[in-house]
Amino acid sequence: MNKSLNDCTIAGPFQHAAAPFAATVFSLFYQFSTLGLKIASSGDQAADEMFSFAFKTPHTAPVNCVVTGWGGCNHAGMATENMIQAACGLMSVHGRSSGKIQSLGLPYVSTVTAALALQGGIAAALGQLRGLALSHSHVSMSAAALLSAAQYIADATVVTPAENLPPAEARHSTAPPFVSADGVIFEFETLHADPWLRFWMQLGISAALAGKGWTAFLLRYAKAVAPIPGELISALAKLTYLQISELCADSGLSICRVRTIAERVDNEQFKSEWLKGPWTFDFAASCQDMPLKPASDSLPLSGLTVIESCRRIQGPLAGHLLALLGADVIRIEPPGGDPLRGMPPVSQGCSVRFDALNRFKAIREIDIKSSVGQEEITELARHADVFLHNWAPGKAAQLNLDYSDLIRVNPALVYAYAAGWATDGDAHVRSPAMPGTDFMVQAYSGVAQKISQACGTQGGTLFTILDVLGGVIAAQGITAALLNRQLSRAGARVTSSLLSAATVLCSGDFQNRHRFFDIAVPAKSLLNQVFGTKQGKIAIDCYDSDAVQRLIDALSLAMHPKQENFQQRLSEILQSKTAVEWVGILLQADVPAAIVVENLSNLHSDSRLQSNLELGSYTKVTSPWSFQ
Amino acid sequence: MSITVIIPTILRPLTNEQKRIDMEGAKVSEIIDHMEQQYPGIKEKLVAGESAHRFINIYVNDNDIRFQDGLATNLRDGDIVTILPAVAGG
Repeated sequence: MNKSLNDCTIAGPFQHAAAPFAATVFSLFYQFSTLGLKIASSGDQAADEMFSFAFKTPHTAPVNCVVTGWGGCNHAGMATENMIQAACGLMSVHGRSSGKIQSLGLPYVSTVTAALALQGGIAAALGQLRGLALSHSHVSMSAAALLSAAQYIADATVVTPAENLPPAEARHSTAPPFVSADGVIFEFETLHADPWLRFWMQLGISAALAGKGWTAFLLRYAKAVAPIPGELISALAKLTYLQISELCADSGLSICRVRTIAERVDNEQFKSEWLKGPWTFDFAASCQDMPLKPASDSLPLSGLTVIESCRRIQGPLAGHLLALLGADVIRIEPPGGDPLRGMPPVSQGCSVRFDALNRFKAIREIDIKSSVGQEEITELARHADVFLHNWAPGKAAQLNLDYSDLIRVNPALVYAYAAGWATDGDAHVRSPAMPGTDFMVQAYSGVAQKISQACGTQGGTLFTILDVLGGVIAAQGITAALLNRQLSRAGARVTSSLLSAATVLCSGDFQNRHRFFDIAVPAKSLLNQVFGTKQGKIAIDCYDSDAVQRLIDALSLAMHPKQENFQQRLSEILQSKTAVEWVGILLQADVPAAIVVENLSNLHSDSRLQSNLELGSYTKVTSPWSFQ
Repeated sequence: MSITVIIPTILRPLTNEQKRIDMEGAKVSEIIDHMEQQYPGIKEKLVAGESAHRFINIYVNDNDIRFQDGLATNLRDGDIVTILPAVAGG
């Protein structure tokens, strides 16, 4: 059974959201439908600058969940998906690999915002059941965007001198994905240098040149760029995809074709996964004598203990979000500590990219491969509320730390797996040889193809969007399982994955094809573009024809948007003033526009973002939630 | 042969907070052995068995030693050896 919260109700004007919130509300509708909530759509007209809904369990008062565009005290001002992407630096990070600053072309911030808003409501209800008087939860789109970029912001704002990989020539045209002689676009992945070297040696590439390629390849995760030497790209372009695949198999390099979203939405298995939602829940038997822990401070998950054994981004971010909700997170690291603590740049003895996701956790160094270590972890799980891991498929069983092992010692445990590919056990693991990393899942899921279509590039983004969304979805599933535990006195296993997060991000495509849920897919923006100005860039996001007309009036364009030289004329006019001047004029005219932040170290100068940024040895992104 | 070694922030507590140190050696492994004599404890941070730790990158003049001869990579007078912890995501 997948429905964890089918006795709970959600109420709001879901069919009447203002245009800037339509994508958030659509994703919210999809997410709470797949959680099994009862939906009460009201006929109220939603406000323009916020959206709110009420979340209620049979045993709690309603939690009023408010979503605004911007954070801060008054939350004022119009905000759209692409304004937020521009103002919070997402366009800038996404544009690094292609050299062109632009929108991701996906409702990414809206989707993250929806997941955080729903999680906030669920957490507040759980807080009520644990003795807190929480009746309001607030999250903003800008807070969701900043959370998504937290590691990049840390990297860009560290005050100690930067440590970088050796410089690689920035040639935007050579960033992955790659293209074969027969025109197939694909991604490579390996976490080790050896398969990479073996692969290129088979193509007659020198070890030195393959090494330059490896250095560029490593830059993907840290810097969102990958200037692969042109010689490597040219060598691939002489071979067919089949030939390249065979060489990959021989060398141990993983390969994944960039698939179209149509391939997924038309596939029955993926359709059923979409209908099921991003989580797989398996509930344990109810045990009525389960002790219920009261909250220990004002945050909803305070007094609960999470044991986390995760590496890299997705799993640690899930643990970080639970810590921001008040949980005590104990992070298991190998003896000597996680090597990524040394990942540059470093400040005060720790990688700031690492610190951005792990700074609120207590650390226990345990050798999980030893029987003593496994016993120690089992003992920790005996007294914990959540056990969270993101190990490779099958590893939990090898370590004697699978769900069946830990539920035996703690039937009330929420056992969470933040996977790469699978959502329901090992049945749908694509291939153990295909690492479930962000860029492979973007390629496989159709996300890369959607981004390429919107951006005019070959593939997805080197911004780790699925790692972040996957972490948010994992934390959301854990919070839902904790609420279910409080309501029904049953522990659970909850599994989510990067692929299931990609499905959430593409739920509009599935809905357009299958029309299963009772909500319309929001229309795409009519004019969503970044323009150069006399100084700086601006993003304009006209979501409907009225907004386009207001833009035309504000610029005295006296043209129809379908006229041949409309774009050119628009670009010319916008060159006449600075971005700051234009944004003032356009917002005054009610045209959605924002200055594109090109340098993440400038984010804190925007007063609308300051409540979610904390200056220090590097700029930290604070909790996206506030509760009352 | 005088070689300059660039030390990453995370290892500087072992090198008296020095960012650059000058070492003698004809191979990367010799440099590491000499560093260990002067700064005990640094070798185990860099080497596992016969090769560099998976999470440590070592470059000779911007070239990753994994794509040369590993720890046996030859050095020439004036070479710069850069040590960098790995970066990763996923």
